[in-house]
Amino acid sequence: MGGKTDVWQGTLALMVLKTLQMMGPQHGYGLARRIEQTSGDLLELNYGTLYPALLKLEQEGYIRSRWGSSENNRKAKFYELTKAGERQVRKAAAEWEQTTEILSRFLEPNAEA
Amino acid sequence: MDALRAKLRSLWLRVWGTRQIDNDFDAELASHIALHTEDGMRAGLSRQEARRQAFIRLGGAEQVRQAYRERRTLPWIEELLQDVCFGLRMMARNVGFTAVAVITLAIGIGATATAFTWIDAVLLQPLSGVKEPNRLATVESVTSNGEWVPNSYPDFIDFRDRLKLFDGVAVSHMAAFSVGKENHAERVWGELVSGNFFAVLGVKPEAGRMFLPSEYGDVPGAYPVAVISDRYWRSHYGADPSIIGSTIRINQHELTIVGVAAPEFHGSIPVTSFDLWVPYMEQPVLNGVQLWMLRDRHDRNMLGIARLKSGVTFDQARLELKTLADRMAIANANVSEGMSATLLPLWKSPHGPQGLLVGPLRVLMGVCVLVLLIVCANVANLLLARATVREKEFSARLALGATRGRIARQVLTESLMLTGCGALLGLAATPWMSHALRLLMPPSPMASLVSMNTRPNFAVLAFVAGICIVTALFAGLVPALQVGRLNLSAKLNAGGRSGTAGRARNRLRSTLVASEVALALVALVGAGLFARSFQQTLRIDPGFDPNHVLLSQFYLSTNGYNLAQRKEFCRRLEERMLAAPGIVDVAYSDGVPLGFEPSWWEELKIEGYAPRPNENMNIFRNVVSPGYLPLMRIPIIDGRNFTDQDNENAPNVMIVNEAFVRRFFAGRSPIGKKIHGWGSWFRVIGIAKDSKYHYLGESTPAYFYVPFRQVFREDMNLAFYVRTQGDPENALASLRVQTRAIDPNVTVVDAAPLKEFIGASLYPQKIAASLMTVLGGLALLLAAVGLYSVMAYSVAQRTQEIGVRIALGAQLGHVLRMIVMQGLALTLAGLAIGGVLVIGLARAVASIEFTNSGMGLNARLLGDGANSPLIYLGSAVFLCIVGALAAYLPARRAARVDPMQALRAE
Repeated sequence: MGGKTDVWQGTLALMVLKTLQMMGPQHGYGLARRIEQTSGDLLELNYGTLYPALLKLEQEGYIRSRWGSSENNRKAKFYELTKAGERQVRKAAAEWEQTTEILSRFLEPNAEA
Repeated sequence: MDALRAKLRSLWLRVWGTRQIDNDFDAELASHIALHTEDGMRAGLSRQEARRQAFIRLGGAEQVRQAYRERRTLPWIEELLQDVCFGLRMMARNVGFTAVAVITLAIGIGATATAFTWIDAVLLQPLSGVKEPNRLATVESVTSNGEWVPNSYPDFIDFRDRLKLFDGVAVSHMAAFSVGKENHAERVWGELVSGNFFAVLGVKPEAGRMFLPSEYGDVPGAYPVAVISDRYWRSHYGADPSIIGSTIRINQHELTIVGVAAPEFHGSIPVTSFDLWVPYMEQPVLNGVQLWMLRDRHDRNMLGIARLKSGVTFDQARLELKTLADRMAIANANVSEGMSATLLPLWKSPHGPQGLLVGPLRVLMGVCVLVLLIVCANVANLLLARATVREKEFSARLALGATRGRIARQVLTESLMLTGCGALLGLAATPWMSHALRLLMPPSPMASLVSMNTRPNFAVLAFVAGICIVTALFAGLVPALQVGRLNLSAKLNAGGRSGTAGRARNRLRSTLVASEVALALVALVGAGLFARSFQQTLRIDPGFDPNHVLLSQFYLSTNGYNLAQRKEFCRRLEERMLAAPGIVDVAYSDGVPLGFEPSWWEELKIEGYAPRPNENMNIFRNVVSPGYLPLMRIPIIDGRNFTDQDNENAPNVMIVNEAFVRRFFAGRSPIGKKIHGWGSWFRVIGIAKDSKYHYLGESTPAYFYVPFRQVFREDMNLAFYVRTQGDPENALASLRVQTRAIDPNVTVVDAAPLKEFIGASLYPQKIAASLMTVLGGLALLLAAVGLYSVMAYSVAQRTQEIGVRIALGAQLGHVLRMIVMQGLALTLAGLAIGGVLVIGLARAVASIEFTNSGMGLNARLLGDGANSPLIYLGSAVFLCIVGALAAYLPARRAARVDPMQALRAE
């Protein structure tokens, strides 16, 4: 796979939730950078799409936000996981693992045969 | 669970989302850019370049803001709210326009909703208060030539006991009961039913119980029980639950009230309300019917209703019924040869009022659709005219960046709001409009029984909501499409001028006007045809003279009279009435000609006539006193009339009609020939002139008369006729006096002039004609208003043009003629389309026969009236006049305007 990959529809939410679970509260820019890093810089986020996605998660009650200060004392909005968000990460992660496992069975060159 | 809650929470927040956090997001975006820029500078970029990169990666601040806003709330709800608010302002500002549109829509939607309420009550949900009505069906016997007739009790027993695909078969027989002590007895209509009646229909008791399985049997006189209606319970017992188990005196016999039926249940005949249900096996006790009649397969007077087992299809059930009936016809060949049976949907049952209503209702629905279409065209025209006025508003919005779709949606929202207001108004008017059906019912003992559930129910509401949306789309679509065609620069460049409408717009409006003319022609011709056909029927000679005759029906069995006592009563009443002043003739019979109630027949064997295979030998008949034919002024054209000597002890005699002679004797004289019926031989003694028996429009069937004293039986009716010199109503008083003198317990009820009574036979045509006339008039009015307003509007738009023409020296008359001609051309185009349409429709409607029972063959809603060129021509000319006037009046007004003024208005 050459070059950088766009984020697939629907997976961004899981990446956001998982990153928040691992790293604790993050501001939007930090979150975006972290996701790119975690992907080994294979992903290139369109930062503009991140904010509506965060808003959606907040509306659904999986994350909450508050204003705070960044490491170099800049005012920034921090997002953190809620209880419902914790449950959602586990559930979505399990679903995703199952999906990839099923798909990999199809893609493995010498499965069963 | 979590996921659903999350979705709902999000939806809630978006609908009621706060709208003031734009600043908050701006701050977040600013912080994002700042953080990104710092990162970039740390990587060695200049501040400016870092900032540029940050914006690039973000994908444009304004786009992100927009995406964020759209996610924060539900944009379409916001826009809808804006549209609605704006629409309300527009409506409030143009009160005249709004009022006209809303009232027009209310009329159209109200009329359609009323028609649908009727159709719903009569055809879609014919029975209320029953369980799973979709599994119920009517069981009809079929004669060898395919006519539908009721069932006999022995046939019912076979159906009940042998059919496997049914959860039950029940029968009912409508009857009048006399309830209470002799001298203040009250007439109550009810049904004599098989014991399993309520179980098959699935009717729940309001109090007490329904009939028990132990009461389902076939033992005559063994079940002295009764169920009353909720209505009767409330009106006569004050809804007192303790009356369960008490006795009720019916036809001078004591029955025990075991229960009260659920309030929604009114009996097994649609559109009819009964108050009393008694097991049919009480018939011998209550009405003195002989036991052998209960076992007689010829005695076909039971309406059958069956419940299909769940999962069984209609066709499977019908096949099983037919197979069984065909086997029965072979097993009982002596009485049932060639008979069969079939299953019909409830609404198709030819008995009871709905049998008469089906045809007219179909026509009615068609007319309502017509009215609704005209209304749509009217409102579309109005909206179109409004859209022209608002073109500049729309252009301005387009120029400011609104999409065409957004404006089209705005137009549709407004049209939906107008339609919604119209629908609400129309719906409010529906309940009392529905009651009008009752006014159209014929005067007859049954008129008081007619009841209909006219409360708007879910089906009606859903229907109205449906037509509301369809109307809004119809009316709003054309103006909305116009927005798509707006030529932005041309409009804005037109500056202050309200230029005349473009060519495309004119063509569109012309199409609407032409279609309106076409629809109006259909309505007008339709009304004309129905009214004319009704007139023609009225002019048909019934073959007897119904004027100056008072008709009264007696229910002597309800007084506990046996057969001999009934005959004696008739003889004495005849004697006394003949002696009364002002009375010309007196007679009595079983059936009344052209009545609302069914006519009966007898299966005949005719000496010297070999029936074709499967020929239906069930011939309609009447059982009459010797005075009947003279009183009716039906001439005896050969032989003699009955006399008092043709009594029980004399040989049986019969009089046949001319159609009978033509059919069975090939026109040769039948006098002296022998005919077999009712188990004995009759000798033909006379021929009566043909008359009408069931419907005025019928083709005369073979018919015969037998003497009252020889044939009258316990289960027959008794109609008493008095011919007077003057107003027949005057004879009523003396009829009451003489009746009381014979027996004070017998009351004269349901007395009416025969002339009014036979109006019942005209009912289907009368209802079709009156509805068509009313709705046709309405359609015409709406079309005329529409035509006028559109013409007036387009002429008003041409005021400048007219001014210019006149200023340039055109003659006033010339200009007027030009405009009127253009209006006429449009009208003629509409007439051409409408003509094609109406000729096709009239053909289709003319083929609707309004009854399919054995009576009234070939009786049609539209007689020969369907091909009457005068009506087509008259309607066309009338519409031309309307069209010309609609063009002339506004044109004259426009031409009166001072040319200078018109030019200055530029």
